Amino acid sequence: MPTGLIEGSSLSKVYATATGPLVALSEVSFQVEEGEFISLVGPSGCGKSTLLSILGGLENQTEGVLLLSDKEHDGPRREIGMMFQTSVLFPWRTVRQNVELPGIILGLDRRQQAEEAERLLDMVGLNGFGDRYPAELSGGMRQRVALARLLAHDPKVLLMDEPFGALDEFTRETMNLELLRIWEKTGKTVVFVTHNIGEAVFLSDRIFVMTPRPGRLEGIVEVDLPRPRKAEIMRDPRYSELVFDIRGMLGVDH
Amino acid sequence: MNMAPPNLTSAATAQAPEAVAPPAAHADTIQKFLATELAKQRRERIANRAMAISFGLFVLLVWAIATEGGFVHALIIPSPFDTVEATIRLMRSNILWPNVWVTLQEIFWAFLLGLGSGCLLGVGVAMFAGVRATLYPYLVAIQAPPKIVLAPIFVTWFGFDMASKIAIGVVMSFFPMFLNTLTGLTSVDPNAIKLMKSLTAGRWKTFRYLLLPNALPIMMAGVKLCWTLAVLGVIVGEFVGASAGIGYLIYAMNFQLDIAGVFSLIILLSLFTLFVYQFIEWLEGRIIFWKQL
Repeated sequence: MPTGLIEGSSLSKVYATATGPLVALSEVSFQVEEGEFISLVGPSGCGKSTLLSILGGLENQTEGVLLLSDKEHDGPRREIGMMFQTSVLFPWRTVRQNVELPGIILGLDRRQQAEEAERLLDMVGLNGFGDRYPAELSGGMRQRVALARLLAHDPKVLLMDEPFGALDEFTRETMNLELLRIWEKTGKTVVFVTHNIGEAVFLSDRIFVMTPRPGRLEGIVEVDLPRPRKAEIMRDPRYSELVFDIRGMLGVDH
Repeated sequence: MNMAPPNLTSAATAQAPEAVAPPAAHADTIQKFLATELAKQRRERIANRAMAISFGLFVLLVWAIATEGGFVHALIIPSPFDTVEATIRLMRSNILWPNVWVTLQEIFWAFLLGLGSGCLLGVGVAMFAGVRATLYPYLVAIQAPPKIVLAPIFVTWFGFDMASKIAIGVVMSFFPMFLNTLTGLTSVDPNAIKLMKSLTAGRWKTFRYLLLPNALPIMMAGVKLCWTLAVLGVIVGEFVGASAGIGYLIYAMNFQLDIAGVFSLIILLSLFTLFVYQFIEWLEGRIIFWKQL
């Protein structure tokens, strides 16, 4: 069995709080292959955001081993990009300058980054919006800019923390299709946090189902729907079956 | 979901407000509507200004009637005409300008030093845990008593010249600048910090690209407070013990019962402070342009 790009074994995270230790993650083990689309699904407090933070190197696990490309992974790295529920665009920078930010921070070649920013804005459908400021854009457009910024320094792994969770249903579904199109084109490895089961099934190769008792990986669901996926895939009985399987694992149906 | 177009470029442009061209048939109606809307706004603006001006004129009129009609004694409130006359007299005399010059210098230095030290300490406390642990309790503690009480001591320490007034101005104007810098630098979206961290940004890059620009709106509010308090500190200092300056002049003229002169000095000082304040506000609009988008 080949070892994955990311490998976690028995990852636990305990926070010290005023009322005693709080277990956010307990004994989570998994592998993520290169180019895979993984979703972390579960209710609030199941530790999915904590796990993402650890994967991003923003926090360290209390126990367990985390490997990235077979090397110990315990800090932020260039190969990893993060995106959040809010777009986190800097309002004093134009759209283009926001997309160029990772390159500036990482000290990459300015000319090449400027071209890259132009290409990425084109790819997320924001051609001609480079000189606008974030305040002039709609919520959906801002997440598109955030998506372009995520890809700007060409990270291998994309960690996305409910990136479309604050968008309305229509915009969110449009963004899902957009994300799949970009993922298919770039072959990135994606770890995508969501509490929307349908979204997870629509997007993912595999779904890590997490439960809050406390922060456990309840199971991993293989999504065997064909690719490339379009909206019609939701008519597929297999789609509903998977959604209901996961609902069952989470104990949503009683 | 089934309506979502697979090619999203078109969907994106449709969201842009200006991309939606008004249908030709409605163009006229829209044009007319916009014109009436603009005219309405203009009328409202003019009406508002007229009301403000009328109120000012009304107050002036009441002032004139009360004083010229002999309802209030001239030693308590001089009439507007006497005040204008006193202003002209002062401007022509050789006592006003040397005193103005002294006060201007004092205010300049008090403002500059208050601003600078407030920013510097704000950055230090916000960015360095060691500085925070060491200084923060004292910086807050010295804020509690009214700093005016220091004025007599400062005169004893720094003498009757400019230094004591500058010192009082600095002590008064420092704190709002410090606190606003600190607050500005620490009120950040936690996700923005995570983003910078994930991009391996260190302390300096996080400060330069995120914390500082993010703090500017709150810092500019501090600059305005800093300005008003620097002027206040300097004038109070001149009241307590000085041999020159506007505060000194006001004090002396009040003592000589030249109330009209006092009034004209107060008005001149107010106009000057207000003018600089407006300038700072204009500057603020330039610096934090994104707040107006």
